[in-house]
Amino acid sequence: MSYESPIRDQLVTGGKTYSDVTRDITRPLENSPSKGWWIGFSLSTVTLALWIGATTYTVLVGLGAWGLNKTVGWAFDITNFVFWVGIGHAGTLISAVLLLFRQKWRMSINRSAEAMTIFAVICAASFILSHMGRPWVAYWPIPLPNAFGTLWVNFNSPLVWDVFAISTYFSVSLVFWYVGLIPDIATVRDRATTKARKFWYGFFAMGWTGSTRTWHRYEVISLILAGISTPLVLSVHSIVSMDFATSLVPGWHTTIFPPYFVAGAIFSGFGMVLTLLVIAREVMNYKDYITEAHLDAMAKVVMVTGTMVGMAYITEFFVAAYSGVEYEQYAFLNRAFGPYWWAYWTMMSCNLIAPQVFWSSKARTNPTVLFIMSIIVNIGMWFERFVIIVTSLHRDFIPANWAMYTPTITEVTILIGSFGLFFFLFFLFIKFLPSINMAEVKSIIPTHAHEDEHQHHGHSHELATEKGVLHGN
Amino acid sequence: MENKNQYWRGLEELNNDPKFLAGKKHEFAEGIPLEEVFTEEDGDLTSNRRDFLKYFGFGISAVALAACNKTPVKNAIPYIVKPENITPGIPNWYASTCNACAANCSILVKTREGRPIKIEGNADSPVFKGGVCGTGHASLLGLYDNERLRKPRIKGADATWQAIDKEIPTALASSKNVALITGTVNSPSTKKAIAALIAKYPQIKHISYEPFSYGAIAKANKESFGMEVIPGYRFDLAKVIVSFGADFLGTWISPVEYTKQWAKNRSAEDKTMSRHIQIESYLSVTGSNADVRYPIKPSAETAYLISLYNKIAVLAGAPSLGSLPAVELPVNGIENTAKELWANKGQSIVVSGSNSIGAQVVVNAINSLLGNIGNTVDLANYSNQHYSDDAQFASFVNDLSSGAADGVIFYNVNPVYSYSESAKLMEGIKKAKVSISSGSNLDETANLCMYNTPDSHYLESWNDNEPKAGYFTFTQPSISTVFETRQMQESFLLWAGLTTNFYDYMVSNWASTLNGDNWTKAIHDGFYQASVSPVSASFNAAATNGVEASAYELYTTNTKKLELKLYTKVGVGAGEGAHNPWLQEMPDPISKVCWDNYAAISHATAKELKIKDGDKINITFKSGKIESVPVLVQPGQPNNVVAVAVGYGRTAGGKTGLNVGVNAYTAANYSTSQMHMQVDVKIDKAEGSYELAHTQTHHTIEGRAIIKEASLGEYIKDTKAGNHDHHKSLRENGNLITLWSERDIKGHKWTMAIDLNKCTGCGSCVVSCNAENNVPVVGRKEVLNRREMHWIRIDRYYRFRTKDNNFITKEDDYNNESTGVDFENVSVTYQPVMCQQCGHAPCETVCPVLATVHSSEGLNHMAYNRCVGTRYCANNCPYKVRRFNWFKYRDNDQFDFNFNNDLGRMVINPDVTVRSRGVMEKCSFCVQRIQAGKLKAKLENRTLVDGDVKTACQQSCPADAIIFGDINDEKSKVREYFKKDRAYFVLDELNVQPSVAYMTKIRNVNEELVHEKGHSAAKHEAKPEEHKKDEKHAEHHS
Repeated sequence: MSYESPIRDQLVTGGKTYSDVTRDITRPLENSPSKGWWIGFSLSTVTLALWIGATTYTVLVGLGAWGLNKTVGWAFDITNFVFWVGIGHAGTLISAVLLLFRQKWRMSINRSAEAMTIFAVICAASFILSHMGRPWVAYWPIPLPNAFGTLWVNFNSPLVWDVFAISTYFSVSLVFWYVGLIPDIATVRDRATTKARKFWYGFFAMGWTGSTRTWHRYEVISLILAGISTPLVLSVHSIVSMDFATSLVPGWHTTIFPPYFVAGAIFSGFGMVLTLLVIAREVMNYKDYITEAHLDAMAKVVMVTGTMVGMAYITEFFVAAYSGVEYEQYAFLNRAFGPYWWAYWTMMSCNLIAPQVFWSSKARTNPTVLFIMSIIVNIGMWFERFVIIVTSLHRDFIPANWAMYTPTITEVTILIGSFGLFFFLFFLFIKFLPSINMAEVKSIIPTHAHEDEHQHHGHSHELATEKGVLHGN
Repeated sequence: MENKNQYWRGLEELNNDPKFLAGKKHEFAEGIPLEEVFTEEDGDLTSNRRDFLKYFGFGISAVALAACNKTPVKNAIPYIVKPENITPGIPNWYASTCNACAANCSILVKTREGRPIKIEGNADSPVFKGGVCGTGHASLLGLYDNERLRKPRIKGADATWQAIDKEIPTALASSKNVALITGTVNSPSTKKAIAALIAKYPQIKHISYEPFSYGAIAKANKESFGMEVIPGYRFDLAKVIVSFGADFLGTWISPVEYTKQWAKNRSAEDKTMSRHIQIESYLSVTGSNADVRYPIKPSAETAYLISLYNKIAVLAGAPSLGSLPAVELPVNGIENTAKELWANKGQSIVVSGSNSIGAQVVVNAINSLLGNIGNTVDLANYSNQHYSDDAQFASFVNDLSSGAADGVIFYNVNPVYSYSESAKLMEGIKKAKVSISSGSNLDETANLCMYNTPDSHYLESWNDNEPKAGYFTFTQPSISTVFETRQMQESFLLWAGLTTNFYDYMVSNWASTLNGDNWTKAIHDGFYQASVSPVSASFNAAATNGVEASAYELYTTNTKKLELKLYTKVGVGAGEGAHNPWLQEMPDPISKVCWDNYAAISHATAKELKIKDGDKINITFKSGKIESVPVLVQPGQPNNVVAVAVGYGRTAGGKTGLNVGVNAYTAANYSTSQMHMQVDVKIDKAEGSYELAHTQTHHTIEGRAIIKEASLGEYIKDTKAGNHDHHKSLRENGNLITLWSERDIKGHKWTMAIDLNKCTGCGSCVVSCNAENNVPVVGRKEVLNRREMHWIRIDRYYRFRTKDNNFITKEDDYNNESTGVDFENVSVTYQPVMCQQCGHAPCETVCPVLATVHSSEGLNHMAYNRCVGTRYCANNCPYKVRRFNWFKYRDNDQFDFNFNNDLGRMVINPDVTVRSRGVMEKCSFCVQRIQAGKLKAKLENRTLVDGDVKTACQQSCPADAIIFGDINDEKSKVREYFKKDRAYFVLDELNVQPSVAYMTKIRNVNEELVHEKGHSAAKHEAKPEEHKKDEKHAEHHS
């Protein structure tokens, strides 16, 4: 119900009506899952099982199951953690920042982007737990009142800041996402044919009536949450970067990290959004909602942020050279030409060089190119964290301590398995929740209002209760 | 009378139903369905109430019984009646003697609640002065070796001592020629016990055998001076020390004693450091500490010695030995050495590690020419620390295999493993009528013997030793025998028909010298010093006859051929330490390899033979072959010489040592005089490759100011030479800007100083720390994974020169062929690194849970219980001294070392927490010792004085390179050290304010060392040095 200048591209194509939107978006929820869904879901369940196995093994025998050593105390674990936290950032950026900037094109992608945020933070949190020597006391870094007297956390430690940053980020993202879901859940509830569906969707719809008052509340709370989320886009990854920046390890000890990490996070997040949406577009047939214009906009973001991180890489070299600190200088030379040169150049080519292809508008709108690029971006960003963590640690101040790091099968399995965890959650999400925000999309369809027809397809889905499992925790 | 009232059980009874009447006879109307229950044919249990009760009762009691056995009950029972001398929590100390090797250092044994838990040097000892080597420290673990023989054995079956004592005397009596093979025996009472045994059985002959023999020294002294002894060497009196392959700081004869002596003259502050020249065929600990080092081929040693003699003879105006052409080292090494020695005659010393009588005779000739006999080479205070008669042992082996000898007693020796002609010996032992081994473990020899009469560990035994003439050191038991073992001397006495126990025997031997209180005092002190009569010895020139020709021939015929040099490693030594996990995990001081021996080969030779690190080679020599030895390309190794350590490749004696490395003893040829080498060997590549477990894989300082060094000349000119540090001067001038508020520590502030000049890298501190702080052993695989747990490590750095005489400290440069690095000439520096207890500790700020915090005494504490294991602290530690418990290292079959059995865990120091899986640990500056020291002072109502608290590493250091104390104590030694101009902090520029100061290493060389220091330091030199550009290659002699 908005006016768009006729010369602008339509945000939703295909001449969709309100009822079309509802029908299209609730279709996967109300019908039996497609073959594609089953394949994807089974694959991710198997991978999730790998993750469970490898993580359990690590917890049982100890962190010796990984390839870490006295010199390299973090490697795959924190690489994966930062990688997943970074992935999450695009979701928040799309839903909060773009909301504040009134970028309406975000409306069809923000739901899945936010879901991606939540699942990525869950993956990241799993690495916080599993990287601990004693995960069974993982709650100790939380400032809980306790009976141990003066035992308290160390507020100087960036890891405690991390605890606050990640938990705030997770809870705000979850609330934002859930609030956004309420009108759509209500729609699904109203279309429900079985008691179970009616109960569960009704339960989570929190008695949504669709009255003007509720819509008003909805708009206000969305704006407030967007306001709260927006600083999180900057703060969370800034704080994560401080794990490194506040240390004195050459290659970590640098003030450029907060903006550089935020840019990197958005870069990798958009990479992941692209991966998901290119698939979703094909599999769920959402091409009219996630249009080429969306892909084009996201590709632009990828190119800009990729170039930003590339500039950060080069700046680091300049600062190292200019600082006159020999340890710093060595750390950067070692990155590029030391034993892990391949990791460095993988990062460089994936993050700085490859995204330059998006200067071409053909590349920006070609789903195949975009899909490949999104994978490249994610590989590159994973390697960025690996390069920062491992190549800095493995050769620091005292040469007698220098050591090499090689991951074990357990670590590789956990990394792959974390994708299983992510996609397992994601597949459940697209099955049980409307993965495009119907309410908002209806506000941007270019035609006049249609009468909303409730069409009952008569397919009942008893699986509806699983939504409770998914979101109840 | 019948009861009138009749009650029927039913109509059946009233009617006298025959069925009922029949049933009435039985107690139970329906009978017991026993068959039904027990046969269970239909699988249908129809139990009734009684059965239920029966089963229930049985079940409960069975479950209760089973439950009783389920978990082993571990009780810690307090003393009901407190023993007089044992107070729980208070250690008892016993003066004793280390029997890990025949050097017999005087030690103190710390016991807690009756368990020996630590060995320390006896600081009162005038000979050993409180030092203990790593092998000595680790010998404690031998007491708690789970694989020790627990009982005597006869023909492989457990037996009783009664049976042994019944059978052996008969067996000995019926044998016609028995050899008693011992190691070095320097105990007067043991010698007397052996004499008593021989008196009873005259057919017994006593032969001394050492696996790695230095027997030639005594033999040469007999020829030269008429005394078959090893002289007492006085390195402390020598201004010039010339050693031909004698590793006197590492493994040679009495390394702790010699290190104490050597270190005395290595203090730069005196400005008259001794000058140490080492000429050797592999890079030894001693060679790595020398000022000047010449790599030579082992075959050339005697030729060089003769040349040295002749050069000195020219200066002395004495006749030269023979007329063969002189051989010379690069840059006139021999001539310059001769000049230096001659300039310090009477105050110099020449020693040789060779086991060739000829070489040792020439050494005697040189020392005698220099007037060193009676000064630095003391024949009056001679050494009994090594004695072996190689020729006698060789002929015994022949006799045994030919049947001429029919009995053998092995007293704590294992020649089946260590003798080069092991097969012949094995065959002989099998033939012998009686064979007895006292080995405490079932080693290679004990396995073959008919009788195993396990000797008690020395910590369970009485003994007296005379390591140096007139210096007696006593062994007293600090625990009663753990198993049914018996000390061998007691067996000797019993078999000799004497009924006294060894203690009484010993007391009676000493009765004339030490009685009553004197005896008690001697046992209390642990040693007794008797006066020795002076000796006037003159060199018998005739002894040198015929030496030169063979030496020269050996030298000339082998110039181009490959040679094999055998040596012993610090730690495992000649193989006695092979099943000791502490020693296996102690990194080799030079190569930093644990759990293996290897073939050390020079870069040039490796290139020539086309082999590289990690390859395996076969070494073929005239009399045999050593197969599949992993290669280590070793800087400092002479070209065309391959060096292999003996003591590895054990096939029995304890699982820790099994199949670790290869046995190189096969090449120790006893038939020639050159036992520790093989000339003309062939090397070919063997199948496969092998990764050695190093604790350090990067070998240079990369031009960083981590090691600071200067030459003595530079130091005399400027005591800050090499240490003009920018940051240091900023700090000293108060110009340092810091974000943080300074901690003001008013009470004690614990600090440590490390004198790089003195540290020889021997590794004693590492083992001592392991014992004190319950450091787990992790094994070869985990060392390969770079996860050793040692709280103190000794970093070893190499510095090279190019052919253009530039220093090379970067690995990229020396791997670059165009720089033309001379790998034979290497300069080695050792740097012990433990937690630096930083004032602004980077580990403390990053710990999320405050598990590592600063104490009011400047210590960086670690609360294991609070640690969640994020490892952030270790990442942020610039010194990388923090160690993470990757696994559970106790009660874990994956780590089957001493922490995996109850006996092995007896060694645990109860004052130190055993860390659990998943927590970080690190050096605590022995905080338990600080607490104990403070408590002691408090009980004695006094303030703590310097020296009350000694850390384990400090206490064990034979070189006194580690100084620990309270810097706020104005009288403390450590404060003195911190004020020295040599003092510097590693990574000072990070301003983490470490509490460990290192002293610039001063080398007694004439070249300039300062200008090539790490460029950051050089840039900030306050006083620019004049850099001479006209330096010559290698070494100048004055």
